[in-house]
Amino acid sequence: MAFVNQETREIQLKIVYYGPARCGKTTNLEVVHRLIRPDHKGDLTSLDTVKDRTLFFDFMPLVADVVQGFTTRFQMYTVPGQVMYNTTRAIVLRGVDGVVFVADSQWSEMAANVESFKNLQQNLALQNKKLDDVPYVLQFNKRDLPKTAPVHYMEFLLNNRGKRRPSFTSVATSGEGVFETLNMVARLVLHRFVKDASTAAGSRARDIKLV
Amino acid sequence: MTYELTRRDVNRLRKILIELLDQSEADSCLICDGAGHVLAHENVNRQDPLLISALGAGVFAATRELARLLGEDEFSTVLHQGMKRSILIAAATDEVLLVVMFSGEHRVGLVKLYTPTAAAAVRGVFESIQERGEAEEESVDHNFVLKDTGNIFAGKPG
Repeated sequence: MAFVNQETREIQLKIVYYGPARCGKTTNLEVVHRLIRPDHKGDLTSLDTVKDRTLFFDFMPLVADVVQGFTTRFQMYTVPGQVMYNTTRAIVLRGVDGVVFVADSQWSEMAANVESFKNLQQNLALQNKKLDDVPYVLQFNKRDLPKTAPVHYMEFLLNNRGKRRPSFTSVATSGEGVFETLNMVARLVLHRFVKDASTAAGSRARDIKLV
Repeated sequence: MTYELTRRDVNRLRKILIELLDQSEADSCLICDGAGHVLAHENVNRQDPLLISALGAGVFAATRELARLLGEDEFSTVLHQGMKRSILIAAATDEVLLVVMFSGEHRVGLVKLYTPTAAAAVRGVFESIQERGEAEEESVDHNFVLKDTGNIFAGKPG
């Protein structure tokens, strides 16, 4: 849920990188952190295990000058991909404004992609949200590896929900496709924010649950 | 979905934080929501509030899950106590958290004593926001104009 602070003239938006284990979610943020202009980024914080698997989440704030008169802060998160960490994924998804679904292009990972995509929908449903109502993009990662599924097959598998969503091929380790994906999801989230803010005339903090 | 705090709302929250710092002798404090957004802060440096909010919201949500597993409705506060610095997180509402950072073992009692009062005051602010009518709301800028979004973030080569 986007947040506007009229005192500091700041907009805060939350974007979550979602996908199966070892698909490249953390790598996306690491590459952005390494290559983006210093004045656009904060520190990248990773809560991971000794084997460098994400245990809770990765977090990195980005700042952009894209709304007149306001500073826009994007709060970038990843979720742990391993199936057993579903509670954590649900926690990180709270209040999400946009999603990047990172899919592993290897044939051997297709079932994991589909399972994770279903899991995303289930966890959004816990917040009474439908995936179709959330701005999201797809990233087909690891295109440099052998035995990858054709893009049209992955589109058929993951991008067949009536309205087709933007999708990108990527090799996150080399940076290919990383910024294209980031810019598209940021753009979608911003346009949704402006649309919601204008139609609801700024629904104010009344929407915060007090119970 | 979007929600918004007016200048007056934020100033009311900051006043509560300043009073809490004064009474409890804590170093800094902030108010964040369950998504990790920073709503207001006092004495926290420019970079830290975002990270503290992200981690604080995550920690508290995980604690809530633990409470649920143990059959508790909720653990209303979480205290992480270190040798030099400590942090206390308290729920003001279901969605809003009060995070207090302090130094020294001797201040734990003060922080524990005054934080619930501050959390109740924060809750009061959000209750009053919910109760007030559209007509009473301040005139604020809802006309968000996007600049060029063609290439928001650029990476340097290599």
